[in-house]
Amino acid sequence: MKLGRHAYVALCLAGGLAAAAALAGPARAETVVTDSGGRQVRIADASRILSIGGDITELLYALGAGTRIVAVDTTSQHPPEALKEKKSVGYMRALSAEGVISVDASLIIASDRSGPPEVVKALKAAPVPYVEVGEHLDAEGVVKKTRLVAGIVGLEQAGEELAARLEREFAGLAAMRSRITRPARVLFVLNAGGGRVTVGGGGSSADAILKLAGAANAAAGVSGFKPLSEEALADLQPEAIVTMRRSGGNHDTDQLLAVRGMAATPAVVARRIFSMDGLYLLGFGPRTPSAALDLMRALYPDLPWKREEPTR
Amino acid sequence: MLEARAVTVERRGRKLLDDVYVKVPPGRVTAIVGANGSGKSTLMKALAGEMKPCDGDVLLDGRNLKAFTAADLARRRAMVPQATSLSFPFIVIEVVRLGASVPGFDAITTRAHAIAEEALLAVDLAAFRERLYYELSGGEKQRVHIARALCQLAAATRGPQDSAMLLLDEPTASLDLPHQALVLDQARQQAEAGRAVAVVLHDLNLAAAWADELIVLKSGRVLARGAPAAVFNDALLSEAYGCPIRTNATPAPGTPYLLPHLLRLLPHAARRDRRTFPSLLS
Amino acid sequence: MQDATPALPLRATVDREVTGARVIAGSVAVLVIALFLSLSVGATGVTLSSLPRAAWGAIQGSTDPVLAREQLILLGIRLPRTILGLFVGAALGVAGTMMQGLFRNPLADPGIVGVSSGAALAAVATIALGNGLFLPWTRAFGVYALPFAAFLGGFATTILLVAIAGRQGQMMVGTLLLAGIAIGAIAGALTGLIAYASDDRELRDLTLWSMGSLSGASWPKVVAILPFALLVLIVLPKVIRALNGFLLGEAEAFHLGVDTERIKRLVILTTAAAVGAAVAVAGVVGFVGIVVPHLVRLLAGPDHRFVLPGSALLGASLLLVADVIARMIVRPAELPLGIVMAAVGAPVFLHLVLRRGIGGVE
Repeated sequence: MKLGRHAYVALCLAGGLAAAAALAGPARAETVVTDSGGRQVRIADASRILSIGGDITELLYALGAGTRIVAVDTTSQHPPEALKEKKSVGYMRALSAEGVISVDASLIIASDRSGPPEVVKALKAAPVPYVEVGEHLDAEGVVKKTRLVAGIVGLEQAGEELAARLEREFAGLAAMRSRITRPARVLFVLNAGGGRVTVGGGGSSADAILKLAGAANAAAGVSGFKPLSEEALADLQPEAIVTMRRSGGNHDTDQLLAVRGMAATPAVVARRIFSMDGLYLLGFGPRTPSAALDLMRALYPDLPWKREEPTR
Repeated sequence: MLEARAVTVERRGRKLLDDVYVKVPPGRVTAIVGANGSGKSTLMKALAGEMKPCDGDVLLDGRNLKAFTAADLARRRAMVPQATSLSFPFIVIEVVRLGASVPGFDAITTRAHAIAEEALLAVDLAAFRERLYYELSGGEKQRVHIARALCQLAAATRGPQDSAMLLLDEPTASLDLPHQALVLDQARQQAEAGRAVAVVLHDLNLAAAWADELIVLKSGRVLARGAPAAVFNDALLSEAYGCPIRTNATPAPGTPYLLPHLLRLLPHAARRDRRTFPSLLS
Repeated sequence: MQDATPALPLRATVDREVTGARVIAGSVAVLVIALFLSLSVGATGVTLSSLPRAAWGAIQGSTDPVLAREQLILLGIRLPRTILGLFVGAALGVAGTMMQGLFRNPLADPGIVGVSSGAALAAVATIALGNGLFLPWTRAFGVYALPFAAFLGGFATTILLVAIAGRQGQMMVGTLLLAGIAIGAIAGALTGLIAYASDDRELRDLTLWSMGSLSGASWPKVVAILPFALLVLIVLPKVIRALNGFLLGEAEAFHLGVDTERIKRLVILTTAAAVGAAVAVAGVVGFVGIVVPHLVRLLAGPDHRFVLPGSALLGASLLLVADVIARMIVRPAELPLGIVMAAVGAPVFLHLVLRRGIGGVE
């Protein structure tokens, strides 16, 4: 029957359109989210996003919203295409009000570490919705952040999937941590150039990742990222050292080895110095569980590792 | 009239001036002479109001100097110190005009500018008008400051009872002979116009030729005062300077000596060379 | 016997009066251009042609989003930024001139009386201790905690300096200079100590602050600096003759009728207030204070009648142009202002020095 065939085509078209509409996401009714600062923000259009903060950019890409990003900040170093393809509004703590507005984003998602404070204040008062996402240095915080960002961009389902996956991975980490008989004393070196060695002390993101990896922070006595004197460094007697991998060779490791007194530490003697990517370890974005896992593997090779554990 | 009464100035336990009585009357040139360190410059500074005496008073027209504001004083007296340093690229005419730029003066009028030009002529620096001050020689710089002081006196507006005083601290120190005569003649003209003029001179011959009264200082005290003829006696001057001095004597045969073409000493030859500048004497 | 003096023409061939007036007129023109640039150029591409309808929209209370954006850019971001830039540049230029005149030192900069080092100390303390020892302060003033602290720190340091140098009733300029150096060194040491003990992030914040920026411009800040701008405008004409006199030395200034003690205090406190306010809103912006007075002197001679207003006008122009460059050259990001000032101004200044000679620095 002709009518039946036309109706069938019409139904398919309608179904297709509906499916497309469902998948499109951005074209949806206005929502109101509560950001980390407690502000209620109305979001009508989440199709052009300015992402400020490396962890937020990573999350957006992981949720599949990477194509919606129009601009990022300079800390958004993963994935590499973020800085390559998108415009950059500069360093997260030195934003320019007019510059930010000029990228014509319909939604700004920014870490609460953004600055300067006057520019953030002005942006919050501007017509473009500005959603602040807080930094949380633990498993729960990462998962919560994932759900929050997903909700902001209207990808709740992808967000749930990602959050669930992260929860599983964190649980797996916790299980491995329980197998550790004696936590290793690990020193986290942020950079070691020009005679200054900056380490990650208590309360820093380095401290948090070490905790996740089941290590004891050798520099827990200082707070935040602080430079230490040579004597103090040697005194810490770390069993393992983690340095930041930089493009162009492991200069930090060389600098570190040149410090008097370091040569005698257990870490150097046993050659347990590991170089890892900074944003991977400290970003506290979706790669956090695998970063902690990689760290744990390096520190505790003798734990009962299953061969199927995914690494990156 | 400017008067110092029982002025004592003490610094770090040393008495620079000790119970000094000095009068600088209008219409006359008063020269202050003495050995190095006898207190000549200190006396000038006290008379100018720059140094406050520890004891005694300096009176101007009967009023204590302390009662005058800096601007009031600047309207009545101009002072040329021994040395002035200036580290900015002023041109000569600008430095002279600074004399008219006292708070309260109307410095930007054509009258003030005309006075500055005349002052420059009076010290024979007209050709240096647009030269950079710091390029000048010591003597030329000194003349610039003298011109500035003349400008200051002429540009000021004074009441009919207010005195006008010119204080010069060693104005001839770096000057050559003709310019010494020139400057001191200008000082005399100022005195003849009714101003009180005090000059510190190290050259006694100049003092004798140009001043109406000499005041001899020794170790912060007034040793003697009087007309040049009275003060020029061997005993007095030898005591003042601490070395043998013979006055009105001729030198040993074969020793040349110099009598400069001083306008006062050789008046008949001089008058035709004398230049007057009316605007500076008003 | 009377010699008639010849009539004297008032020659104006190399007359500094004329040159000076021309320099001022030229500086006003340059400033107008700089103001125009600062208001019409920006990362969003909004131009001044939108101003009439944006202003009209604001008056009418329109809610059109395009209009709202233009309003925000022109009236909410660029206009306060331009006004602040005008103030900061003028204040630093004038302060530099006054300090160079007072200390008779062509190499003096506005910070010589301790205001910059004091402001920096207060700033680093607020940045590093804002969440610790200084938490009540940060809570009380919020976004303005840092600027307010910087101003207080700068001004207080100068007051301390004046008190030390003026102990014996007479403020000796030489003592002031040396004490200023000593206090600057102490403040610097304390700043270094706090910086050394501070977090990586705090250190970065401090570094950025010490490179200067107008990005935090806002209307409340404009209102805050207005009294200081007024102060400078009022004080400026009063000190012109006095500063000229000071160039001959303090004793000579006295002979020329300058109330030296009063002028010294007035000039130093005005400088401290103006520079304190400038540093509070823009961070540390170097270069303007030392170089702009020299630039003006090179063009117009050392008479403060021209150098003071000229430094204000040219300082403001230079700062505004540098700010435009700072926010356009890496848009949509922004460079710190102090860097652009130095990078742009230094070569220009060097060129001038080599061509015309700095002249007169004994």
